[in-house]
Amino acid sequence: MTTGDGSWDAESLRSGDLRAGFGADLQASSELADDGTRTPRAEIVEAISLAMAGSLNLRRCVLQLLTAVRPELADWAMVVLTNPRTGALTLYGGDDPSATGKASRRSVAGQALDRILTTGRTELLHVSPDTAVADGLASMVPTKVLREQAAQLRPVDVLGLGLTARGVTLGALVVVRGQGRGFSQEDVALSELLASRGSLALDSARLYEQRSRVAAALQASLVPAALPVVPGVDVAARYRPAIEQLDIGGDFYDMFGAEDDWLAVLGDVCGKGVDAAVLTGRARQSLRTAAHFERRPGALLSAFNTVFHEDTSDRFITLVCLRLRPAAGGRSADVEIAVAGHAGPVVVRADGRAEQLEIEGTVAGVLPDVDYPTTTVRLEQGDALLLFTDGVEEARGQEGFYGLDRLLNLLGEYAGAGADAICGAVEQDVVEHLDGRSHDDIALLAISCGGPTGWQN
Amino acid sequence: MAELTESLADFEAALAAVDTSAAIGVVDDLLVAGVAPVTVLTGVIAAAQRNVGARWQRGDWTVAEEHAATAVAAAATEAVARHARLTPITRGKALVACAEREWHALPAMIIDCALRADGWDTTLLGASTPPLRLGQYLQDLGPDALAVSCSMLGALPTTRRFIEASTTAGIPIVVGGAAFGPDDLRARALGAAAWAPDAPSAVEAARALPAVVPAVAPLPDAAVAEQAALELSHRELVASLLADWQVDPGLEVAEDAVQQVLHAVWAGLMTGDPRVVPQTAAWIAEILRSRGEDPEKVTALGGLLRTCLRDYPLAHSLIDNSWPAFVH
Repeated sequence: MTTGDGSWDAESLRSGDLRAGFGADLQASSELADDGTRTPRAEIVEAISLAMAGSLNLRRCVLQLLTAVRPELADWAMVVLTNPRTGALTLYGGDDPSATGKASRRSVAGQALDRILTTGRTELLHVSPDTAVADGLASMVPTKVLREQAAQLRPVDVLGLGLTARGVTLGALVVVRGQGRGFSQEDVALSELLASRGSLALDSARLYEQRSRVAAALQASLVPAALPVVPGVDVAARYRPAIEQLDIGGDFYDMFGAEDDWLAVLGDVCGKGVDAAVLTGRARQSLRTAAHFERRPGALLSAFNTVFHEDTSDRFITLVCLRLRPAAGGRSADVEIAVAGHAGPVVVRADGRAEQLEIEGTVAGVLPDVDYPTTTVRLEQGDALLLFTDGVEEARGQEGFYGLDRLLNLLGEYAGAGADAICGAVEQDVVEHLDGRSHDDIALLAISCGGPTGWQN
Repeated sequence: MAELTESLADFEAALAAVDTSAAIGVVDDLLVAGVAPVTVLTGVIAAAQRNVGARWQRGDWTVAEEHAATAVAAAATEAVARHARLTPITRGKALVACAEREWHALPAMIIDCALRADGWDTTLLGASTPPLRLGQYLQDLGPDALAVSCSMLGALPTTRRFIEASTTAGIPIVVGGAAFGPDDLRARALGAAAWAPDAPSAVEAARALPAVVPAVAPLPDAAVAEQAALELSHRELVASLLADWQVDPGLEVAEDAVQQVLHAVWAGLMTGDPRVVPQTAAWIAEILRSRGEDPEKVTALGGLLRTCLRDYPLAHSLIDNSWPAFVH
């Protein structure tokens, strides 16, 4: 009946209590309540399946089903989903459609629910008014709380439908009607149609959720780490991946260290999306490990380049690496910088001068042995340093590339405004410049000396 | 509340001095004294932020100064959020986002923090959320509620997209922000389940949201078609209005004003709320006045709009009927 091709066999009629199925003898139809004014019923199923298809989230999808079946098809409904690995049952709904509960498969052994979960076949059981909690409901509803809720409605029947999609029975839909309204043959057929349509949406959501869980776990290890609190220094960052629905991409930044000795890196792996993100994860980890032994940016990049070249001879990466040594109280900070094929950071002085540091170095991963020159810059209170990837300069809008000049002009206005305001302003200006066009990954890391207190009002 | 008045003054001083640690100190003191996080958010941070916006509007502060002060307020909100995260989670999941092109991230941070303090398991997406990213989070998280902040009229069309995305998945949405105006008319017209003018009402609205909402019905086709056409020609319309409007060419806010007035037309078309037009005219008059321009130039702008919108019948009649004859 819910096998997708509409077929059924007499085996599902084995239970003595079972009174329904396609073509079964239906005493219940005479008990049907006033439904003369209802929406055409096939349209209800259509509407419910459409609503369910709108969500790829399993819980939301179940919620759509449980909310939509009432009051047209049922007065009370629950969904049972099985966990194929553990055999545990998750129970959704009841009086409150958003409620959830648990039960073990063992606790329902030999009961109607167990049969439905095994065979996917519909069962319509009688509920006697005196011992409601003990008979049909007991066989179909696994917990006392839910049984009592259903019994409150004084139902005459309880209908259990298998939720089968793509050849697998995922669970069951159990529905009850109150005040003597039973399920007619037509009701059962309609409910089965709903179950088969709904199952497909539930199964899609289940498949999506499995994938999404794997992706989320992998992604969690690749999203930029939270920035540390650096005494005397104010740091902020922004990240806008090219693939907007991902939180990861081929750009990365990282900052780590302790007390008065910190390292910051920002880099760009060739490529976009997941493949590039995997490489950024490795690069970030290698740099952290290497930094344990070598804290001079030039030597650090040299070591990184050699290892990266050996490992991945066909990939390359651009990097800016700096060592930051803040003086106590944030009055100043000494910065030593090396780059590997990456644009030099921009220094924004408290008085509004903004200039790019002139420094060069070979892209990492191309040659086996490279020496990286370093340059030093001293930040005074209110000065800031902005590290950025080429997604900024190369953001292409209506009037061409965003470009360095626009960046320098903007940064001049934000002198002394603090790291977060600088990052926010650049992000906004670049994205507005794009005006909805696609873009490369964009990463920003700003370091402001002494926080934003250098502001001149 | 006397305590709050004093704290508010200290907080505003910290914003003006762009002194993050002083600002965090003010909110930390209140939280330690047992003041509820939502009270700190509303009575201190949001209250001070309104003055930050007013200072820009009056021309007292540059955009950069406004941003610097806002970053301090954001750091203070994060301090409240650290406190709020100690509250146990007792409600469902809530996703909090800014509409695309909504760059004011602070109101969303405040709502996120207020909902977290009320026991929601919140996820905050930052400024200007791309619709694809919102969709991904709606499916991955399957939240019980979506809260969207929109203060810019120009971001209302993407807010509507968010409402479509959210309600298609059955997820109820509460909206707030200056773009919705003084009541729930625009929010309802766009299909939101609830409108919240501030953090306490957002908390209240979120508690009362239904578990599932139906997908929103389409907006009136003619209005949507005209808004889309206006959006496509937006750059040309801005350029033409700026070229013809007789204001000081050095007046940087002239472009803001022109952008805003076209966005007001979009908003009027999409929501059927004509009040957005006179409200925007009054706002433009105010920023002109505070920068030494004659506010009567708003009347001239109305005339230019009538001319440049002549090919857009609904927009034209919106301006015709609702642009104020005189600005006081």
